[in-house]
Amino acid sequence: MNTITRKVTRLGVALLFTSSLALVGCTSRPDEAEMKQLNDLKAEVASLQKEIATKEQQKAALDKEVAEKNAKLKKCADDQAVVKQRLANK
Amino acid sequence: MNPRVLIMLAALLVFSIGLVMAQEEMTKEQWQQEIQKYTAERDKVNGQLKQLESDINALKSQSVKSDEDFKKCMDELYALVGADAAKAAEYRAQLEAAENKANELMRLSDADLVARSAEVDGLEATVKNLWGNKLSLIPEFWDRLTALNEKVKSLRGTLASQVKTYTVKTWSRDRDCLWNISKKKDIYDNPWLWPKIWQGNRDQIKNPDVIHTGQKLMIPKGNELTPDEKSAARKYYAKKAVVAPVEAPAAK
Repeated sequence: MNTITRKVTRLGVALLFTSSLALVGCTSRPDEAEMKQLNDLKAEVASLQKEIATKEQQKAALDKEVAEKNAKLKKCADDQAVVKQRLANK
Repeated sequence: MNPRVLIMLAALLVFSIGLVMAQEEMTKEQWQQEIQKYTAERDKVNGQLKQLESDINALKSQSVKSDEDFKKCMDELYALVGADAAKAAEYRAQLEAAENKANELMRLSDADLVARSAEVDGLEATVKNLWGNKLSLIPEFWDRLTALNEKVKSLRGTLASQVKTYTVKTWSRDRDCLWNISKKKDIYDNPWLWPKIWQGNRDQIKNPDVIHTGQKLMIPKGNELTPDEKSAARKYYAKKAVVAPVEAPAAK
């Protein structure tokens, strides 16, 4: 009985060692160059997103500027109509 | 402790460390997924960027076109009233000067305003002149001139409420001169306030020694001289002191 217990214990220990080695050693992992490729890609995406934020701000400013200019243009057209009316009434 | 238990614990520890390391390190499969994810993201962002750049270029062109259209529209507007941008700028400057003058007069005390009533007359003439120009038909100027009219009207109202009139009688019979008029009970009851009448009527009294029978003089409100009136009186007395002491400028 004692011999059986000892054997089971040894087997258990051996199994744990083997499985941990298998977990760490046998899994396929990316090498250094591949990790660098991934990190460069992440950095590129982050930089592009930053650029998008800047461009969006620029677009918003231009949108506002064009809207203001169009409002001025409309006012000018309205003023022309008013002046023509006043000239006709004179 | 039983050595077997110790060995089991050690084996468990190694197993756990192996498990943790295996979880923390990226597998090739995960790397592949990440690469695919970020490549797709880069392509998407590049597309957005391209679209944004295109939108920005379109907006820039639109902005330039709006400027050109606005200039053309304004030129046409000025042409309708026979003017151009330079004439409009000149008119705008005149209008601004009149507005500044009106604001300056509006800030004066009633007594000071009466003393400077000639400036209200001048302002009124300027406003009338500005209305006479066809540029006044443009809403920008029309609205400002309308507001200016209101201010002139208000100034006129203040002047009217502050001024009563006196018609000059003869010197020979009534002894009317600025000194004596000022001395009258229903005028100021104080002869020393005669410069008030002079300064309130500068448009018709050039020399306070000379007033004419029938002249209708404004009698400004107040019971003391304003700084301007005092200054005018000092100058008058200084000038007269060289010739002879003066008491009474007379009606002729």
